[in-house]
Amino acid sequence: MDDKRGRFEAQVLPHLDAAYRLARWLARSPADADDAVQEALLRAFRGFDALRGSDAKAWLLAIVRNCSSTARRGEQRRAFVPLPEEGDAVAGETMIATTPDPESAAVHRDDERTFDRLVASLSTEHREVLVLREIEDMDYREIATITNLPIGTVMSRLARARSALKARWLQELEAKPHAMP
Amino acid sequence: MQCPEALRVQAYFDGEVDAVSAADIERHAEGCAECRALLGDLERMRTALRSELTHLRAPPALRTRITAALNEESSARTAQRSTTARNTWRTPPFWAGAMSGIGVSAVAAALVLLLFAPLLSKPLIDDLVGAHMRSLMPAHLIDVESTDKHTVKPWFASHADVSPLVADFAAQGYRLIGGRADYLEHQRSAVVVYQHGGHVINVFSWAANDRSLPKSATRDGYHLLFWRAGDLDYCAVSDTGWDELQGLVQLLTNLGSRDHPE
Repeated sequence: MDDKRGRFEAQVLPHLDAAYRLARWLARSPADADDAVQEALLRAFRGFDALRGSDAKAWLLAIVRNCSSTARRGEQRRAFVPLPEEGDAVAGETMIATTPDPESAAVHRDDERTFDRLVASLSTEHREVLVLREIEDMDYREIATITNLPIGTVMSRLARARSALKARWLQELEAKPHAMP
Repeated sequence: MQCPEALRVQAYFDGEVDAVSAADIERHAEGCAECRALLGDLERMRTALRSELTHLRAPPALRTRITAALNEESSARTAQRSTTARNTWRTPPFWAGAMSGIGVSAVAAALVLLLFAPLLSKPLIDDLVGAHMRSLMPAHLIDVESTDKHTVKPWFASHADVSPLVADFAAQGYRLIGGRADYLEHQRSAVVVYQHGGHVINVFSWAANDRSLPKSATRDGYHLLFWRAGDLDYCAVSDTGWDELQGLVQLLTNLGSRDHPE
């Protein structure tokens, strides 16, 4: 294997799961996400020489975001995002074994779905900064690079995304008072 | 009504401020009920998002697709580089006529070596890594579950086209856990499955053909070691380190040469 391919596999491929998660939160369907990720990885490989010492994860996520918006362009943009589906590869499945009883496991799964649904109901702009910050642990500078926004805009958008999520969460809790945390 | 310090409080929560500003913001929050509530909200949302949101991972099929696309891209690049090298390599005019024939043939020969050697084994490597990844999915690993080679070996006789070496090396840390049949190289290949620590090692075997194999390869973080014994080709695949994988291959080849002295 040539040297470039080896370095690419060592530096970039470890972030494939992160790339896939971002694509899934931005794409309209799992198939679109697959296409966007594959295209992104190819572009990343072609442009790999341009990556000099900077953070590979933020760099790859920026490419994924570009590929995702290319895929969305020309399609009608709707505030609709497919939720994770049955059969999706999910990390931490081994933890199920330690769950005490089936009933509470079912309740727990229901809560997980609740958050998937809440995040999916946010606008794409809000969802993307929120996922980058809270799930992928990107700092403001990295989010600014990935989304091609000034840092000030990242901060205000993140604040609006968080208050939108909070509002939806409160609505959810009012609808299901027994689910109070 | 929002406190004008809310964005700074958020930046503090996200670890984006220096120690001096942090102390300043903490002092502010002590006296501002709104910002204390904001900090509580931010913390609860983060905890909920990180624990409740479905943690998606790239599906194995997508990994395989990407590996294949990268392989294609790598070989296209190699070809392109060689062509470019030939075009930009300017010999002085005097030598040009005399050398051109040799130069072109040399480049052509190099191209054949560069391109065809890896190309021949590339689809096979993809197949092997794909089969290894499939085997790690629930209920795909083992068709016949046994730590006894006298159970696994006869099972292959009726389920695979080849009869590979089967042995348990539990004492050396490689526990035989069973066998499986996978379709590979246009035949029902036999797969012997070992466990080493927390890792699974699949040892594939198929009737050798005239395809030339690399000694080793790495794809997607999986290591592959190839060897030939008798009329079978073997390949061990795992995400263990090279040394651990080599350890098992060594045990198998030692045993093979003792059982079937050439």
